[in-house]
Amino acid sequence: MFDTSILLQILWTGIATATYGVLLAAAFSLVLKVVKVWNFAQAGMMGIAYYTLYVCLQKAALPAALALGIAVLVTIGAALLIDTLGLRTFRRRKSPSLTYFIFTLLLSELVQYVLAMIFGTEPVSLAATVGSASTMIAGVIVSRWDVTAMLSTLACLAVLYVVLRRTRYGKHMTAVADNPELSQLYGMSVARIYALTFALAALLVVAAMYLFGTRASMVPETPLRMMLAAVIAALLGGMDNLIGAALAALFLSLLQSFSVLFIPSAWQGLILYALLFITILFFPRGVKLPRRNARRKPAAAAAPSTA
Amino acid sequence: MEYFVSLLVMIGLYVTLSSSFNLIIGYGGLISIAHPVFFALGAYTTGVLSVNTSLHPLVTIAAGGAVAALASFMLSLPSLRISGDYLLITSIGFQLGVIEIIKNLDFVGGASGLSGIPNIVETHRSLKFALALLLLAAAVVLFVRKLTRGPYGRAIRAMRDDELAFSALGRNAMNIKIAIFALGSGIAGVAGGLYAYYYQYLTPDQFEILQSAMILTMVVVGGMGSVFGPTVGAVLLIALPEAITFLNLPAEVMGPLRGIIFTALVIVFLFLRPQGLVAPRVAGEAQ
Repeated sequence: MFDTSILLQILWTGIATATYGVLLAAAFSLVLKVVKVWNFAQAGMMGIAYYTLYVCLQKAALPAALALGIAVLVTIGAALLIDTLGLRTFRRRKSPSLTYFIFTLLLSELVQYVLAMIFGTEPVSLAATVGSASTMIAGVIVSRWDVTAMLSTLACLAVLYVVLRRTRYGKHMTAVADNPELSQLYGMSVARIYALTFALAALLVVAAMYLFGTRASMVPETPLRMMLAAVIAALLGGMDNLIGAALAALFLSLLQSFSVLFIPSAWQGLILYALLFITILFFPRGVKLPRRNARRKPAAAAAPSTA
Repeated sequence: MEYFVSLLVMIGLYVTLSSSFNLIIGYGGLISIAHPVFFALGAYTTGVLSVNTSLHPLVTIAAGGAVAALASFMLSLPSLRISGDYLLITSIGFQLGVIEIIKNLDFVGGASGLSGIPNIVETHRSLKFALALLLLAAAVVLFVRKLTRGPYGRAIRAMRDDELAFSALGRNAMNIKIAIFALGSGIAGVAGGLYAYYYQYLTPDQFEILQSAMILTMVVVGGMGSVFGPTVGAVLLIALPEAITFLNLPAEVMGPLRGIIFTALVIVFLFLRPQGLVAPRVAGEAQ
């Protein structure tokens, strides 16, 4: 029915364009897991990261590595301000979740308006041209951007995995995510862990916005729209599962890419919202895949002790 | 003079929207921010009926309210299963989904909007609409006051404060949730009908997520769960950002600056006066 090369091309392009979505979903899910906050201020962080990169790359003509370094510092600074000046106050007051939602959403709006005032509402890109060199492999067009994006995303996720599983602070983050009060009793600084979480999320956001900006252009209100995919991915993947959120983001991107074969492109946006509705109603804890150790036979556990 | 009258139109509109929203979120404790969707459904129903039929404006506006109230079932029924953060996120998805559908429906004008809504007032147009909306706003505020101070209001607050205990006493929380959603959404739909006749042009962008944030902040800044709080919040957050109009700044600066003032104001209020400008009448009314 469909040409294999078309399907492969859609698959490849879908995976490539999912890369920045995966990083954004991982960043959102990380803050949700550890800090237990639906961080809609991430849209503001995305805007700050993007326009910092824009100023460094396009206006100041700095090398990419230096621009990324500056963007990382600025975005981490903004993220830490959000946490220490904003969220910490509401935590101290034991404010309801609606307060966090209003604060983070309005902060993103504030950033959006400030960026619109400074940079205007014309689309801007991080690269002089959004196209990149490409080659044909097995009937599929593979661009240099595609390969760079995939490798960068895998590297970022690998680093995140190592930090969370193999480092002391990463394990502290997991402990604080489970029980902040008990972690505090064990001598962990919950405030420092929260700050570290936001810093890590900021790193992922900068990487994602760099990838996005070297392929497409953006206006100040774009990040708020991009946020919804990250929210749905975090829900679908499970609120405490970063890898799940990343895989869910990949799934959503592929779903939207392949949907063009069956539905008009104008209706593609509706898929995300329909999925959000279905996910909340039927999978509020995320889609749980059966684990290998859950299939262990109960008889083994009931075997008499030979000690 | 025309400018001030149009400001009164906006105030009447947003007092109506924020008061009806306060019924759902402040008194009912149902954290949904999809209120602009019902406002949109009322506006579009009225707009489509007025363009394609010769029905009386009162009938089309009533139809807008009825459609919005019926559509509220799509959100109130899921709310029976979920609450809190999940209901909040669901309502975001519901709103964006409905707006996306509107953008792709040709008979409502799609993304380019619905035009050709007839003019129903020949003379002193803005003044008459301002009066109508202010009267509607006053009626809604008084209605909310009467409803919440009576036995039904006590039932709503009891359900909000402890749904389990409420149900254990043999009361039906489901009916109250559905009724609150329908009432609040129906009122928003009626406001939408008046909005459609005033502006005579509707686009989906007028009802996006930022509209939700605006109405929500009016309720929160004014005082959630208080009768007059949303009124105070609406007046403050409509009037204050408009103060810069007299600075005669370029249009490309005016729009973002207005947004900056609005969002900054709300953030300041969240820190300095989190309970809102008008506290609820009785301490137990606060959420």
